[in-house]
Amino acid sequence: MSEQPLLTVTIDNITLQVPAGTTILQAARKIGGEVAPPAMCYYSKLKESGGKCRTCLVEVSKGSEKDPRPLPKLVASCRTTVMDGMEVKNITSPRVLDARAGVVEFLLINHPLDCPICDQAGECHLQDLSYEHGKEGTRYEFQRRTFKKHDLGPYIQLHMTRCILCYRCVYTADQLTARREHGVLDRGDHAEIATHIEKSLENNFIGNVIDVCPVGALTDKTFRFKNRVWFLKPLNAHRDCPDCCGKVTLWNRGDEVYRVTARKDEWGEVESLEDGSAAWICNTCRFDKKKTSDWVIEGPRDINRHSVISQGHYAGKIGTTTPTEIFTAVHDGRQPKLLMDIHSVSEVNRPEIELSRIAGPSHSNDFQKGNE
Amino acid sequence: MNKNNIGFYMVTFSEQELAKVKEIISHYPEGKQKSALLPVLHLAQDTFGGWLSTDTMDYVAGLLSIEPIEVYEVATFYSMYNLKPMGKYVFEVCQTGPCMIQGSDNIIAYIGSKLGIRPGETTSDGMFSLKTVECLGACGYAPMMQLGKHYREHLTPEKVDAIIAECRNNAAAQN
Amino acid sequence: MGVQLLLEKVKVEGIRHYDVYRREGGYRSVEKALKQMSPEAIVEEVKKSGLRGRGGAGFPAGMKWSFIAKPEGVPRHLVCNADESEPGTFKDRYLMEFIPHLLIEGLIVSSYALGSNDTYIYIRGEYAWIADILETAIEEAKANGMLGKNILQSGFDCNIYVHRGAGAYICGEETALIESLEGKRGNPRIKPPFPAVQGVWMRPTVVNNVETLAAVVPIINDGGEAYAKIGVGKSTGTKLISACGNINRPGVYEIDMTISVEEFIYSDEYCGGIPNGKRLKACIPGGSSVPILPANLLLKTAKGEARLMNYESLSDGGFVSGSMMGSGGFIVLDEDQCIVKNTYTLTRFYRHESCGQCSPCREGTGWMEKILWRLENGEGKESDIDLLWDIQRRIEGNTICPLGDAAAWPVAAAIRHFRDEFEWHVREPQEARKRNYGLAHYADPIHVPVAG
Repeated sequence: MSEQPLLTVTIDNITLQVPAGTTILQAARKIGGEVAPPAMCYYSKLKESGGKCRTCLVEVSKGSEKDPRPLPKLVASCRTTVMDGMEVKNITSPRVLDARAGVVEFLLINHPLDCPICDQAGECHLQDLSYEHGKEGTRYEFQRRTFKKHDLGPYIQLHMTRCILCYRCVYTADQLTARREHGVLDRGDHAEIATHIEKSLENNFIGNVIDVCPVGALTDKTFRFKNRVWFLKPLNAHRDCPDCCGKVTLWNRGDEVYRVTARKDEWGEVESLEDGSAAWICNTCRFDKKKTSDWVIEGPRDINRHSVISQGHYAGKIGTTTPTEIFTAVHDGRQPKLLMDIHSVSEVNRPEIELSRIAGPSHSNDFQKGNE
Repeated sequence: MNKNNIGFYMVTFSEQELAKVKEIISHYPEGKQKSALLPVLHLAQDTFGGWLSTDTMDYVAGLLSIEPIEVYEVATFYSMYNLKPMGKYVFEVCQTGPCMIQGSDNIIAYIGSKLGIRPGETTSDGMFSLKTVECLGACGYAPMMQLGKHYREHLTPEKVDAIIAECRNNAAAQN
Repeated sequence: MGVQLLLEKVKVEGIRHYDVYRREGGYRSVEKALKQMSPEAIVEEVKKSGLRGRGGAGFPAGMKWSFIAKPEGVPRHLVCNADESEPGTFKDRYLMEFIPHLLIEGLIVSSYALGSNDTYIYIRGEYAWIADILETAIEEAKANGMLGKNILQSGFDCNIYVHRGAGAYICGEETALIESLEGKRGNPRIKPPFPAVQGVWMRPTVVNNVETLAAVVPIINDGGEAYAKIGVGKSTGTKLISACGNINRPGVYEIDMTISVEEFIYSDEYCGGIPNGKRLKACIPGGSSVPILPANLLLKTAKGEARLMNYESLSDGGFVSGSMMGSGGFIVLDEDQCIVKNTYTLTRFYRHESCGQCSPCREGTGWMEKILWRLENGEGKESDIDLLWDIQRRIEGNTICPLGDAAAWPVAAAIRHFRDEFEWHVREPQEARKRNYGLAHYADPIHVPVAG
C-alpha cells in the first residue's frame, strides 16, 4: 500500500492526524468521549448513510491551511471530510450546542415518549441524546403524529411513531439483503417506513434493521415485552453459521436466551471483523437460535460503564478515556454543567454505592444493605 | 385503454402504449431505465383510470425491471399521483399565498358547497373530486385550478358553475 | 418599456413555431456559436456578461459552467430547471408557453458550450400542456437541422428531452431535481459532491434555470460585454419579473434592473398600481421564500434611498431591512391583507413540500404551521410569537438544502416587521377571527388614495 498523506485537524482544541478522506466525525471519534458528535443517522458500515438527522452539526472555524476562511454554515460532520489544517469546534461552540438542542427538540416533538413500554429503552440513542442535549420540558402543545399500524411479519415489530427517519434500515435492506421490500413512503412530516402492501419482511439478514435502528421503531418481535435490556446479562457467543459470521451477543437471564443481537461497538454500531467487514448476523442466528446449547459462550461482554445496562454489574468499559476528563480538557479545566443531577431526584443509583461490587443484577435489597 | 367486461381496468398497456414506454426509456442512458419512472407513471395513471393501484405500480416496476418498492416510494412522494380512485373530473384548486390573497378560500368553499364534498373527497356518482393543492405557478391569474391537463384561471363562482356544467355535458356526450 | 432581450418578439403572431421564430431572427446564436466559436469562448462570453442564475440564488452562470468536471470518457449533461414552483413565480411558464424556441435555442448553445449531447428539460408535472409545446418545438428544431446529429455540419450532436416531474417543489433544488430525473424520490443530495462533479447518473452536470439559459441567446448574439452594459453593477442584463397579488396588471414583465420598485408598482407600464384605491401594505419581492418587506422599507432603503429592482438594491440592509431578488416573483399585498394568514399559507406550503429527509425542516415546518394556524384563529398565546422566532432560527442554516431557509425566512421577516399584527391576533382574538389587522405605521406613506 502506498503511503497515505496524513492531514492535521484540530477538534475542540485537540489536534490529531488522520488519513485523507476521513470525515470530521470519524476523526472526532478517534478522540472519543463528548468530542465525538452524536450521530443518529450516520452508520459507518452503511454506504450513503448520514447527513440527515443534523445532530452531528459542527462549526468549522478554519476551513484549511490553504483557505483558512471559516465555513459560513454548520456542517454535518459525518459527511464532511477533513482538510489539512482544519479547525473544528464541537462542544466548545455555543452555536453548535444551540443548534443541537434545536435538533433534539425537533426530533422529540412528535416522538411518543413511550420509553416505559419501549423495548429499546436502555439502549436507545434518542434517550441518550435527549439526556445529554435536550430540555426537561417540551414546548410542543399539539397532538403528536400517528400512523396507520403496519405489520412487518413475525420477526420485526414496527412502531412508526418512534421513527426519526434516519434511513439506516433502508440502506441495510439495500446493501445486505437480496431485495428491498420496505422503504420510505410519502413525504415531509408524514413520511413513513412501510412496505405499502402488507408484507412481512423475511429476507435473510433483514433482521439487522433491528440492530441499526437508533430508536425503538424497529424492534425484535421475538423479544417483545419479554424483558428490560438492563436486567439481562450480555454474553459474547458464537456458532458455526453457514450464512453469517456467527459472532453474536446473547442477552441472557439465567440460562435462558432472551434475545440475540450482533456485537456492537462503543458507538452502537455493529463491530468489525478481523477482515474489516461488519459482523452482521443472519436471521437464523438472531431469531431461531434461542437456546444456550446452540452457542459457544465466550464470556461476559464489555459494556460501557455509562450505560444503564452496566448496572447489571458487568465491570469494564470500552475506550480508555472517560468523557468527563476530555470535557474538562477542552474546556480549560471547567467541569461539565449537568443538565440535571439525577441523584437529587432519585434514591436509586446513589453514587456512594459501588455497583461493580454487587454480584448480580441489583435489587432494592442491595441498596438497603449499603456498600459493605 | 383496456376495460374488461366487469368494468375494471386491466393493467396491461396496449401495443401503442408499450411503444411509447420504449420511446421514453430511450431518452435515458443504457441501464438507467429507472429514470423513465416518472413519465411512465404519468402514462399509467392516464391509462388506468386516473389513479395508481398497487397492480398498476407492480406492472410499471416490471416494465422498468425495478423493485416494486422503488415505485411505491416514488408514487407516494409526488403529489400528482393519485393512490386512490378519483372522480372523472378532478378540481385541483390552488390555496397558497398569492391565490389566497385573491380569495381562493372562497372558491374552494364554493366548489365544495356546489358539489356537496369537502377537499379530498369525491362525489358519490364518481364524477367530481375536489383537491386542494399548493402553488401551481399561475399566481398572476389567481384564483385558479387545474382540471385535467389545463389550468382554469381567474375563477369566480360563475366561472365555476360554467366549468361544472361543461364537465357534466362532456360526460353526457361521452356516454 | 426598457430593453427587451427575451420577450421582445413574444407578441409576434405565430412565434411559437419554428418558421416564424426563425424569420424573426431566431437561431442566429446557434449558427454563430457552432460555426465560429469554441465551447470555451462561449463560457468566456457568458462570464463576461455577468449573467447571474435566474432561479433564485443568483450565482454567476459563467462561473458555474467553468466548474464542470471533464473526466475522460464520461458524458456530461446540461439540465434545464423548469420546475418553477416558488409561490409568486410564473415567469418561466410564460417564456416556455409563448416563445419556446428561445429556450431551445439557448439550450443548444449552452449544450455545445458544456459538451452535453443529451440535454434534459425537467419541467414541473403540472405544466403538462407546456411540455407538449416544448416537445413540438423540439420536433420542429430537429426537422430543421438544429437538433440531432451533426448540427449545421459542426460535428456537434445534441438531443433535448422533456422530462415531466410530478408535483414536488423540492425538485427545483438542483440535487433533488437530479434525483427525480433518475426516477427517485426528490430528496436533495448531501453536498459535496457537487453536481458539476457528480450529477445525474454520477456524471458531471450543470443545472440552470429556464430564464438563465434563454439569456444565453442575446449574450451570444450581441456579445457578453453588450449584455453587461445593460443594468447596473452586478445586476447585468434584463430580468423577468412575475408580478401578482393586489395589483392592477398582474403578469410577466421584462425589466432592465435600473427602474425603482415604486415605478414598477405604480407605473401603468408595469403593475399599474393597487386596485380599488387601496394602499400598499407589504410586498414579497422575490418569490415566497424571500423576506417580506413593509411598504416603507420596500420603496426606500433604510438609508432613505429609492430601492431599485435589482439584486443589490433589493438586498440592501440585509435581512434586517432588506430582502432578495430571488426568483423574481413579486407578490404585492394591499392594506386589507392579513400578514399572519399570509405567513400561515406560505408555511403550510413549505410543510407540504418538505421532503422529510432532515429533522429541522421535517418537524419544524409542521410545528410553525400549527402555531400560525392557532394565531390566525385567535387561539394563540403571547409566547407563541417568540416560540415561532426560536423555531425558525433553529431551522435556518441547519438543513440539508435551502428549503429550510426558505421556510424560515418568511416567518422571521413577518415577525420582524409585523410583530404588532401578531400581537394583535393574540390580544384581540375575537377581532382576529372577524377581520384583518389592516394598515399600520408601516404602510406606504406616499401613495394615499385620492378621496372620492
